[in-house]
Amino acid sequence: MKRAEFNFVWLFAIIAGGMILVLAVYGATRLGDTARFQSDTEIAKQISIITDPMQAGFAEGSFGKIIFHDETRINNWCFDGAGGDNRGSTTGGGFGRNSISVSSRSNVGEEWGLPGAEISIPNKYIFSNPSNSGKEYYVFSKPFKFPYKVADLIFLMSGEYCFIDAPDKINDEILGLGIPNIAIENCTSSDSEVKVCFGSGSASQCGSRDVVVYGACVSDCDRNLGVYTEGSIMKDDGRIEYVGGLMYGGIFSDKEIYNCNVKRLLYRTAKIAEIFGAKADLMNGRDCSTNLKPDLFLIEGMAMNSTSDDLLSLNVFVKQVEEKNKRELCGVW
Amino acid sequence: MMNREGGQMKIQQMAFMIVAVFIFFTLVGLFFVSWQSRSIGRNAADLQKQQALSSIEVIRNMPELNCDLTEGLCVDEDKLNVLAAGLSDDYAEFWPVASVKVYKVYPSFETEGSKKCPGLNCNYWEVYDSGQTSSEEFSGYVNICKKMRERGSNYEKCEVGKLLVGVYET
Repeated sequence: MKRAEFNFVWLFAIIAGGMILVLAVYGATRLGDTARFQSDTEIAKQISIITDPMQAGFAEGSFGKIIFHDETRINNWCFDGAGGDNRGSTTGGGFGRNSISVSSRSNVGEEWGLPGAEISIPNKYIFSNPSNSGKEYYVFSKPFKFPYKVADLIFLMSGEYCFIDAPDKINDEILGLGIPNIAIENCTSSDSEVKVCFGSGSASQCGSRDVVVYGACVSDCDRNLGVYTEGSIMKDDGRIEYVGGLMYGGIFSDKEIYNCNVKRLLYRTAKIAEIFGAKADLMNGRDCSTNLKPDLFLIEGMAMNSTSDDLLSLNVFVKQVEEKNKRELCGVW
Repeated sequence: MMNREGGQMKIQQMAFMIVAVFIFFTLVGLFFVSWQSRSIGRNAADLQKQQALSSIEVIRNMPELNCDLTEGLCVDEDKLNVLAAGLSDDYAEFWPVASVKVYKVYPSFETEGSKKCPGLNCNYWEVYDSGQTSSEEFSGYVNICKKMRERGSNYEKCEVGKLLVGVYET
């Protein structure tokens, strides 16, 4: 009888103790996941905040570095506001947005857990690959002018790049800003390094996973950039067209994110043209008259629904408007 | 008979113990969850404040507002008039803050009262307002300039102003 009682008590204690233990382990795991989700979401929000002062503003370019304690994965999605994003989503409208989420590497359980909540960034144009991993991220920013300033472009990268045969202006810019992950000519031939060849002369040095930049400017070109004022970029995911600072966007980002951000930028170009059109009316009322209103109206109409495929043709007209604005007495911008 | 009662007693003791342990852990869990949610709320509010503070510079430099000069701290009065007159409606989801307002420092509100722009002798532009009532605001000084042309020469007519941005509440 005593033996049976002893067994029952032990059996009961083992079952109850086991259940409590299982619940405790499950609870601790869930809490760990929740804490990780919270921390990853906070990091994503902080990235959106700390990239504010890294934007070029009135400068020709700016550079900053984000260093994490542990290896971190940053996911970047782009929604163009007109019915599509680089994940196939079809909601929203207007200016579009970039959405970033972060997942940190863990030494316990799954190496890369589910990312934290997506942070929506409608007022920035972040060019990067859809998924980037690393402890150090490099943030390079250039203004986009078309013909007036439209936005600051943000290039987010974690990999190594090597520029071959780049024009002096680009080399000076990279060296001047001290961007450590971009080598000029001195390529290391490592597998992780992406070579960026400028022009067909150097294209033979680039492999299938590298990038080749072609210049196509023949008139009204930037004095320093020459033919590379506008052109096209060949990558493993296809060909894209660029104008001005968008060249870096084409080099450092995925084709879909590039096309999506360019569409967003062109929409904003159209909205700013609308504001300048209304500003022109106000200026005309106080002896600061301008003849640019019809041109701004045309830019608004053309850019509103344009895509990156229309960049080069739009740029022909944009250059003419820029020249007209320079000849104005007051100038709208 | 006595042994059976003793056994039942032990089972009851064990059951009470398990219930007590369960309640204890539930209370600890509830305490942790409430502490955690308070901490999430605090962090979210801090991040929104940081966002608003860093946005002052970003908004000042936005091509929709700035003077197109090669200097910061300047907003274009014509663009302010255009946006305040209703053209900023499309920008509702674009602003990273709850509200964007620009005030002229002189003439001050104390002497003249607030007169919404665009309008004659106005001193206050409401560029964007999300409708959030109890919004905390941060401000930074700006030049409010417009291009003028008199006697054949161009110049920028500037006044001192203040840019106010509201923090989104969490």
